[in-house]
Amino acid sequence: MEYIGEHLLPGQLGHFFIVLSFVSALLAGGAYFVATQRRAQTDMEYWRNLGRFGFLLHGLSTLAVIGTLFYILVRKYYEYQYAWSNVSDDLPFQYTFSAFWKEQQGSFLLWSFWHVVLGLVLILRAGKWESPVMAILALVEVFIGSMILGLYFGDFRLGANPFDLLRDTMDAPIFARADYLSQITGNGLNPLLQNYWMTIHPPTLFLGFASTVVPFAYAVAGLWLRDHKDWLKPALTWSLFSGAILGTGILMGGAWAYEALSFGGYWAWDPVENTSLVPWITLVAGIHTNLIARSTGYSIRSTYGFYLITFILILYSTYLTRSGILGDTSAHAFTEMGLGFQLVLFILVFLVLGAWLWFSRWRSIPDLEKEEAGASREFWMFIGALVLFFSAVLITGATSLPVWNKLVQLVNPDYVGAALKDPVEHHNRYQLWIAVFIGLLSGVGQWLRYKEQNERVWARTFIRHMAIAAVAAVALSALNATWLNIHAWQYYALLFTAMFTISANVDYIITFIKGNLKQASSAFSHIGFGILVLGILGTGLNKEWISTNVFAMDGLIEGMGNDDLNKNILLLKQAPMPMRGGFEATYLNDTIVRQTRTFSVAFKKMDAAGASRGESFVLEPNVMYDRQFTKVVASNPSTKHYLTHDIFTHVSSLPKAELDQEFARQQEDSLRFETYEAAVGDTIFTKKHYLVLEGYTKQPVHPEYTPQKGDLAFGLRLRAYGLDDTVGYAADPMLYIRPMEGGFTLPAQVGQLQMRVRLSESSMTQLMAMEEDLNFTNFPMKEGESVLFNGFEVRFSKANRTVDHPSYLPEPQDIALAADLEITAPDGRKATASPVYLIRENQTFSLKDEAESLGLHFRLEQIDPKTGTLTISMAQAPEAQRRIPLEVAENAPRSDYIVLEAIVFPGINLVWAGSLIMLFGLALGMWRRLVRKTS
Amino acid sequence: MKRTHIIAIAIVAVAVGILISASKDVTTYANFDQAMVSGDRVKLVGQLVKDQPVEYNPEKDPNYLAFYLRDNAGEVKRVILRAGKPQDFERSEQIVLTGQMNGETFEAADMLLKCPSKYKDQEIYVRSEKG
Repeated sequence: MEYIGEHLLPGQLGHFFIVLSFVSALLAGGAYFVATQRRAQTDMEYWRNLGRFGFLLHGLSTLAVIGTLFYILVRKYYEYQYAWSNVSDDLPFQYTFSAFWKEQQGSFLLWSFWHVVLGLVLILRAGKWESPVMAILALVEVFIGSMILGLYFGDFRLGANPFDLLRDTMDAPIFARADYLSQITGNGLNPLLQNYWMTIHPPTLFLGFASTVVPFAYAVAGLWLRDHKDWLKPALTWSLFSGAILGTGILMGGAWAYEALSFGGYWAWDPVENTSLVPWITLVAGIHTNLIARSTGYSIRSTYGFYLITFILILYSTYLTRSGILGDTSAHAFTEMGLGFQLVLFILVFLVLGAWLWFSRWRSIPDLEKEEAGASREFWMFIGALVLFFSAVLITGATSLPVWNKLVQLVNPDYVGAALKDPVEHHNRYQLWIAVFIGLLSGVGQWLRYKEQNERVWARTFIRHMAIAAVAAVALSALNATWLNIHAWQYYALLFTAMFTISANVDYIITFIKGNLKQASSAFSHIGFGILVLGILGTGLNKEWISTNVFAMDGLIEGMGNDDLNKNILLLKQAPMPMRGGFEATYLNDTIVRQTRTFSVAFKKMDAAGASRGESFVLEPNVMYDRQFTKVVASNPSTKHYLTHDIFTHVSSLPKAELDQEFARQQEDSLRFETYEAAVGDTIFTKKHYLVLEGYTKQPVHPEYTPQKGDLAFGLRLRAYGLDDTVGYAADPMLYIRPMEGGFTLPAQVGQLQMRVRLSESSMTQLMAMEEDLNFTNFPMKEGESVLFNGFEVRFSKANRTVDHPSYLPEPQDIALAADLEITAPDGRKATASPVYLIRENQTFSLKDEAESLGLHFRLEQIDPKTGTLTISMAQAPEAQRRIPLEVAENAPRSDYIVLEAIVFPGINLVWAGSLIMLFGLALGMWRRLVRKTS
Repeated sequence: MKRTHIIAIAIVAVAVGILISASKDVTTYANFDQAMVSGDRVKLVGQLVKDQPVEYNPEKDPNYLAFYLRDNAGEVKRVILRAGKPQDFERSEQIVLTGQMNGETFEAADMLLKCPSKYKDQEIYVRSEKG
């Protein structure tokens, strides 16, 4: 079939560049491999230049693939599956990036992009290491490129092509039509991903992922060439870079989870989080042994090992998150593409390559005969690196249970599989001791020296500073113990070691390097670690759910036993609710803009006597509906930040009628509505209540209504009372007619009375009739004149050039004039109206105005500039039509509440600050080595 | 023997110790029957029974959710979770619970929902239906 309107060229070009990018990566890898093997200078240069050419070609074609895919997303070519499932007509441009790397192919391209950038830097700077390092990088690119190849070999598909056509990937009757493209629109981006974290987190994390290949490649190069010393220097700089960036990426993930998702925390020991943390830990271990190796010549073997394993773990994490194997254990959802086999091959190739080189070269790697001295820095740093590695092993082991299950099931299909009972508790229990050791070692290690020869002389200084650090740590611990809810001795140990590393490293900065902050990179990292641990203690031990009904704790509500689990509280609209921690929360109102519904919740801090203590703030959590506005798809938190703590809230549940339009319709249909008629000022008596119709308006306000030009809207102002009640509740139902779309009635709910009021369909036809059946009469008038119309005295008080009319938006070239009218009814009631005459681009318009309370409508029809006479036409809505039919249901289920979760996070800023200082230390270390290298 | 060897042996010893002690943190996947027999905390995978009522009445208790789950062996039991009801609960394709049996009901401490439809909608939106 010949399909209409498809753009097939970009897809063909894109796929061509994918294949070119793959082939040129192969070329680059092969050429660089030969260049590494050749001894003769000219021969080597020939192959190296060929490698450079291959890599440049690879880089350009990768950029072309990215550009083409981006073009398809921006142009919204829905004939491509990638565009169809990730963007939509109404998706704001800035989220095109998020849509780009939402799917696996896009994130592989992002990864590839960073490899290309890093490769170019390496070509410029790696010098004699260029050939072997680039050979490895190009080989990695071959594997990543294969993930998006989309080539078929019989039934086996190699990679998933991002340029697949929608009609090739899906079976739907609509593709039987040649013009299917004009009928479809894109799925759009999941609202959860429509935030700036999704724009900044993936590129940072992937730069972190990508950069780990450089230390790996240097390690392979060192083993390959049996040059075990020279590679250590550039590898260290790159590892520090990688550690800083990967750490930032992980931290951003935590901040995203905390700030924008309703996870209620920044770290949950989720498999997805663990698998990106573990390579960072081994990388940091590698940085430490690398420092040892550079200063002393010890630990070269372990440095090799750590850099090799770091990259393998990155590949392993790629496998875990992209193969769908974590399905049952992770809260994160990732798209799955059936690339499992390729991903396993990816890991195995590099695992075998790394392991083979490491073991086969083991004996040729220099190691000093003499053992490290027991009081030397290299010895304790090495122990620290082992502790870090141990931590990585523990986390990886527990996280790999799904992999283990799958392996056993290959042999024994009946195996049911194992899982952690409580991952958070498990990891915390073991990692606590890791942190204790790291805290101690990073404090002690700083005061030890490399290659210690004269232990006795140095010992006195060492002991003195350890004593200072220990005393300061005890003091700081005691201070912090006053605010931390420590309930087990292990936490005292952790607190002490965190304070110890802070004290020892601050002391180091002051007395040893004498405030020369350029040399303080390691001290910064260790201090940051200590602060981070303190923050983790604060948020972990002092985290408190304040969204607990304080009455429930007194046993007033049955069925609430374990108050630890009572994390949610019901807030009725406008009804203040006391909560734990001396807070009082009031759900004020809600507003809807586009698909987002925002709830305003006021918090007030109260003292024991119930009086306000002055501290008050409003939080605005929201929920997002899907595009059809039928279901809630995301709940976004809102957080009040203080220096010492945060108050985090999110809407954890809503009345079912608010969550699900289908259910709401059923509920509405099942309500028994009685019809009443009333004119303004009338009182309606229903079975249990009475209502007063206070007035009506053409500019109604309703939470679910967003006015649009061309709308014909009509709303009532009612006040509802219980039969023996004097407090009235506002009930403002409305209806509107929107051109091309039809009429809609929006009911008003009075939660307190369980009453629902709506304007009936018949009032809709009446509203139409009111507009169409009006009989206008023309009156030529001058300023100051009055006329009598149907008993009303209408005075034309002023021709007004300052026009203020609800349906008028001023534009620069407009000529607009309003006639200000003052009307007096026969019974003495007064009102005003200002109809408008408008000339815009040589066209004239008359904007109607009305005196609603009197039922009078006015137009300004003509202006005679010579005489100053204005033709004003007037009409009166027939009296009988102003009795308005409305429908009232009683016993309507309450829908005016939200279920809120609110958590206080003390010390959360210590977590952020500690992490940032730690990463800053890494970045500073890298910068210092770069500067030293160039100068 | 070099000091590093001693340390290596120590670390291996600690690792074995941890492996043994951590084995009690591990549970197996089970169905209702097995959970009943073991009485322990287990992981249980199943589907929401959509024609049975989901009980969540926040006006009475916003921390009480009860529903019926069909486990992978096909058995249906009532499940109680003392927490709020997640937004996309009814749309879940699969539910992973951690908890234990208490009489005839499964008391869950933790729940994980899988709603792939949220990420991959297989409907094709037709333009005329929009708005």
